[in-house]
Parts: sequence; C-alpha cells; structure tokens
Amino acid sequence: MADEEYLNKKYLIVDDFSDVRSAIRSILRSLEVTQVDQARDGNDAIAQMSSRHYDVVLCDYNLGPGKDGQQVLEEARHNLLLGVDSIFIMITAENTRDMVMSAVEYAPDSYLSKPFTKDILKRRLDKLFERKADLRKVNKAMMAKDYNAAIAELDNLLAKNPKNLPDLLKLKSEVCLTATRYDDAMVIFEQVLTEHETSWARLGMGKALYWKRNHAQAMEMFKQLIVNDPNFVAAYDWLAKTQAELKQFEEAEQTLHAAVKVSPRALKRQQQLGDLALSNGHPEQAETAFTKAVTLAKHSALNHPSLFAGLARSKSSNSKHIEALKIIGEMTKVFPGQPEAVFYKATATAAVKQNQGDTVAAMDAMQSAEKAIVQCGETARSRLGLEMAKTYVQIGEQEKATLLLQHAIANNHDDEEFLMELVQVCREANFEYDTETAIREIQQRVVKTNNTGVYLIKQGKFDEAIKLLNEAAEEMPGNKTINLNAAKAMIIRMEKQGASMDDILTVRRYVDRVQALAPQDWRLHEVTSRLKTITPTI
Amino acid sequence: MDFSDILASSIHDIKNSLGSILNTLDALINNPDNQLADSQQVSLLQHETQRANSTLIQLLNLYKLGNAQLTARVTKQHLGDFFEDVIADNQALCRALALDLTYVCDVQTTGYFDADLIHGLLNSAIGNAGRYARTTIQLSAAKTSEYLVIRLEDDGVGFPESLLQWFTLEQHPEQFMVSTGGSDPARTHLGLYFAARVAELHHTPDGRKGYIQLRNNYSLPGGCFELWLP
Repeated sequence: MADEEYLNKKYLIVDDFSDVRSAIRSILRSLEVTQVDQARDGNDAIAQMSSRHYDVVLCDYNLGPGKDGQQVLEEARHNLLLGVDSIFIMITAENTRDMVMSAVEYAPDSYLSKPFTKDILKRRLDKLFERKADLRKVNKAMMAKDYNAAIAELDNLLAKNPKNLPDLLKLKSEVCLTATRYDDAMVIFEQVLTEHETSWARLGMGKALYWKRNHAQAMEMFKQLIVNDPNFVAAYDWLAKTQAELKQFEEAEQTLHAAVKVSPRALKRQQQLGDLALSNGHPEQAETAFTKAVTLAKHSALNHPSLFAGLARSKSSNSKHIEALKIIGEMTKVFPGQPEAVFYKATATAAVKQNQGDTVAAMDAMQSAEKAIVQCGETARSRLGLEMAKTYVQIGEQEKATLLLQHAIANNHDDEEFLMELVQVCREANFEYDTETAIREIQQRVVKTNNTGVYLIKQGKFDEAIKLLNEAAEEMPGNKTINLNAAKAMIIRMEKQGASMDDILTVRRYVDRVQALAPQDWRLHEVTSRLKTITPTI
Repeated sequence: MDFSDILASSIHDIKNSLGSILNTLDALINNPDNQLADSQQVSLLQHETQRANSTLIQLLNLYKLGNAQLTARVTKQHLGDFFEDVIADNQALCRALALDLTYVCDVQTTGYFDADLIHGLLNSAIGNAGRYARTTIQLSAAKTSEYLVIRLEDDGVGFPESLLQWFTLEQHPEQFMVSTGGSDPARTHLGLYFAARVAELHHTPDGRKGYIQLRNNYSLPGGCFELWLP
C-alpha cells in the first residue's frame, strides 16, 4: 500500500551539486520511486514546477548563487505551483531550528538535515503522506474558505486522540484565528499552557489578545516570550506590531532592530524596519534596512518597487540625491511593464526633487504618478494612495493629501492595521492632520451607511438597500465590508425574486474585489457558496 | 563575512562529503558482488562517518551555546514516535555493527522537550554506546511526577568508576571539561558537557532544570545514560 504511494508520485530534487542529486535519486530509486526529475538551481526548479505538477519536492536550502531554497518555496507558494496535497521538504546542512522559526509565513512541510539515510527519508515521507491523507478533508474545507467546516473536521480528528494531537491542536488554533474565532483559539492556548509552557501557544495567545484589541496584555505575552527565548523572532515581530498599535513607534523600531540582528534574512522585517526608521526620523538606519531589503529581494518573488522607493527616499533624506535618483532609474528595468513600478518611480522622484528644492520637477513627477495610479489595479489603490498623500504633504499640497487620506480611510474603515499605517504616514510626512478625528468621523459615516443598508434588507426594502450599498461600493471599491454587504443584499433579492445575469455579474465583481484584497477573509465563504446556487432566471 | 557564515558554509561542504561517503558505503554494503572490502571494515567506516557528523552538529551547537544563541524550543512529543525517529536515524549503523537497537516505553508516554536537540544528543550517545555494547542498545522513557527520564543503556562493561563519581557531586558541566587532561578525544567528555548543557536549557517557569546522570546496571548490565527533563 505504502509502496504504491511512492510509485505513483512525481518527485523533484533540487540541489546545485550533481553528485548530491544523484545520491538522493538513488535513495529514491531504492524506495521504488520511478518518476524523478532534477533541478540544478532555483530558477530551474521554478521552471520545472511551472510546467509540471510535483507531489514531492526535495530542495536543498543552499543552492549557490541566485535563489536559495526558501526563495524557491516562497515563489512556488506565491505563484500557486504547489497543490494542497504536495509536499515540500527543505534539506539543510545546518541545524534546522532557526529556519523553522524565521520562515513563519512560507514554511515547508518538513525539514530534513543532511546527510540522511534511506531509513530516515522513508520514515519522513510515510509520515507526511499519512498526515496529508488525514488532513484531506480539512484542506478541502480550507481551500473553500469554509473555516467552520475545517474546524469541525479537525474536531473529528482530535476526538480520536491521535499521536499527532499537539500538531492538530496547533493547526486548529491557527484556523480559529483566521476565522476570527478568537475565544475558541484562546481555549486551546489556555489548555496547552496549563499543561506546560509552550511557545506557539504563548504566541497564539498574544495574537488572539492583539486581535481582541487587548494590546497591553498581548504585549506582556510577547515580552515574556522574548525573555524565555531571545532568538524567537516571531515574538519580536508581534511585539513591534503591538507597540506600533499603541503608538510607541520608537520602541517598535528598537524591537525590530533587535529582531533583524537575530534573523537578518527576512525581507518583510527589513522593509518594516526601514519604514519605521524613516517615519521616526532615523534616515541612516532606514537606509541600512532598505539596502538589506533590496539585496535580499533580488532573487525573490516578493521583490517590489516599494523597496526601491524606500531606499531612494532614505538615501535622499541622507542628502545622497544622486544615488537616490540612480536607484529610481533601476525600478522600471527591474520591474518591466509593471504600472506600480511606474507609479513608485514617479512618487520617489517627486520626493527626491522636492528634497533638492525643485518643486516644479516634483509636481511634474506627481502628474505622472496620477496617470500611473489609474493603470494600477483597483485593489492596490489604497496603499498607493497613502504613498501619494505622503508625497503631496512633502511638496506642500496639503489639500490633495487630505482628499487622498479621506478616501483611503473610507475604503479601509475597519482595517486596524491599514489605519495604523496611515497614521504613521502622516507622522513620517510631518503632516498636521488630525487623523484621529478624521478616522472617527469617516468610520461613523461608513458604519451608518452600512447599518442603514442592513436595516433596509431586514425590512424587506431590497431595492432601496441595494441602491444605497451599490453607490457606497462604487464610492469605496476597496471597502471589504461594504462590498460584501452589497453582494449579500443582491443575493438575498435574487434568492427571493429571481436573478438576472447583470446582477450576478455585479455580485461577482464585488466578491472578486474582496477576494483580491483579502483572500483569507472568513466572510467570503458564505457569499460565494450562496452565489453558486443562483442561476439566472430572467 | 563573519565567523558564523564561514562555519555555516564549511559545515555545508563537510556534510555534503559525509553524505556522499555514507551513501556510497550503503551501496557497497548492499552490493553482493562487492569485492573491495569486507563488510566489517565498511561498517567501521560507516560508524566513524556518522560519528563525525554527530560531532559536527555538536560543534555547531557548542558554538551557538557560546554565543547564547542556543535555546530549547520545547514542544509536546510522543515518546514512541520520537524513539522511532531516532532509531531510523541509527538503524543502518547498528545493523552494520550487528547490534540490536530497540526502545521500551508505554504507548501513551508524552513529554516536553526540544526534539531536534535531544535527537542530536541521542545520536552522539548511541554512537558512543555502539563502541561498548556487545549485542544491545536500548532506549526507554519513564515519567516521575516532575520529570521525564530518557534512558540509553547498553550491555557493555559500563562506565568507569571515576566517571560515575562526578555524578555523585553537585553538577557543574564545566567540570566535565577539566576532569581529565589527556589527548584522547574519547576522554575529554565533550559529549557529556554538551549533553549537560542541553539538558539545562530545558527549564520550567517554576525553576526546575534538566540534568544528566550516569549509572551502571540499570536494566541492562552495561552503562546507562540518563536525561532528566522537567
């Protein structure tokens, strides 16, 4: 039975040494594996994974110049080259433990430290195949974003008290957090911590408290984790996030500074540190962080023009305008044909020109930015709007900035993290704009529109509700709650009164927007599954 | 380039070499037409290669200990499952040395420890026991109210009295290092020092700390290495 598992599966070995590749291949052959391909570096691996589906990828972390194993994994996950049933095993020479903790977002299914024998590989693969088979129903529910069903499946598995109970509990707590079922997650964390101090449960408890807006207690959790284990980088990331939420920006920067010392290879962390350092008025530290970020991103699928823009802005703040302009010049070469690169190039140019005292050239650049932003996707515009507002403040165009900020708040009225970013942007630009009041007023307005819409639906006044919510969705295309409720209102009307193709397409457009903005949003499942049952009748 | 990068990159190279030696040896052992060496010699090579690998991991971890970069990441472990992993890692070696490597523990036994660190530590200990055992090496686990005890026993001649005496005194891992002078690497007790430090890394908020213990004639006639983890 197990042998058949090996026989029918496709394997890819990624290593820069041909001797190592053939050694692994002969181990696989001895396990009766017949379908084995090989890749000699990261690009080769990605090319092969793009053209063929692999069930198992065995990838060395150290691949010589170019992408490393982690970047191969990131790109594969990012471009959906690995199915939910695929297995990615990272082979490392060093102790694997440091990587486990630093690769939180893109973790492989397993680590294998070399040299490994046939016995070890077989045992590892058997376990992973078994685990994937156990979780088949859970993964299916996760794919459909039906988190409640996934949790129910996990409860079924947990009821059997299996050997991998701790893993399943951890997985369940993660799903609960994604589904915003914080109290259910807390029950798990408390249960685990009562038995023994365990860092994933302590971290999870901090996250749940953070999302429940209990920031002071969350902070205690993260601080305690760092005391227990000064190398636990995820705790630093969350501590910094919590400190920023409490407007302790200096402390947040120090926390991230400590984190990059422990684990310097994480791209996102370096970018966050750069952004914080810039807004805290530490351009030298910002330049160091962005320089690292740009270097790390070179072979990464997560490379983005905003990194170059950040580096150019910090260089310019350090009066290195010529170097800054040179970096800006690289952007469209590194990201050919990408409207976002054109946009960031324009805003960064404006910032540098303004720093050089050339406001006319800065305004010129902003005109290109205005043109470029229209070419960018609807869903990227909130973040780009912030970048633009920041630059307008620098140039002294306060009114333009204010309009952009109001628009950004309306589109993200219930997204705490985004609003915090917005507050930071105003700080960075030294903008005397009362963000607190603006956020409160706009939030009230959006919530009122939303509640009125929901009330009208309950009253059965579908046409009125839909008119109101549709207008709001057109005004705030980036607002997930408004788009979801507009979709819901139309679905209810279609369920009761029949559906036209036009209405179905409009709903699909709202759903697609939310999907693009927040693919994990727990509210999507209900809307998409109800939409599926509707067929055009008119 | 700092020293940790140099160390990491050297270890990567050495491990690639060790891996290819091990795999070639494996192929030699499994090839019935092999005329090159008698199986005893090949086994010895295999044994020493694995020891070199364990020592290399230990070296890296000692370096991290020195820089306060080594912490125990404790998770709940299923002991039976964990022992099976350890045995899979050492099976080829024990087969080659004609030793029986087994484990005894209740199916329900669980414990809290850093599986990677303890696994590495047991690899070294098994490599060491393999030099003294006559027929059997046995892993076992038991629980007291405050500790999990992992035992590694062999049926050899047991630890020398001088070494056992160190464990009747208050333990200070550094003492293992100075306890014997000589140049014989087997007698520097670096492995014991490392094991004691790794055990110490396991501690609980109420102040309980892990430690190691040596004894003879526990359930097998030879040496018994004990890891006490809170």
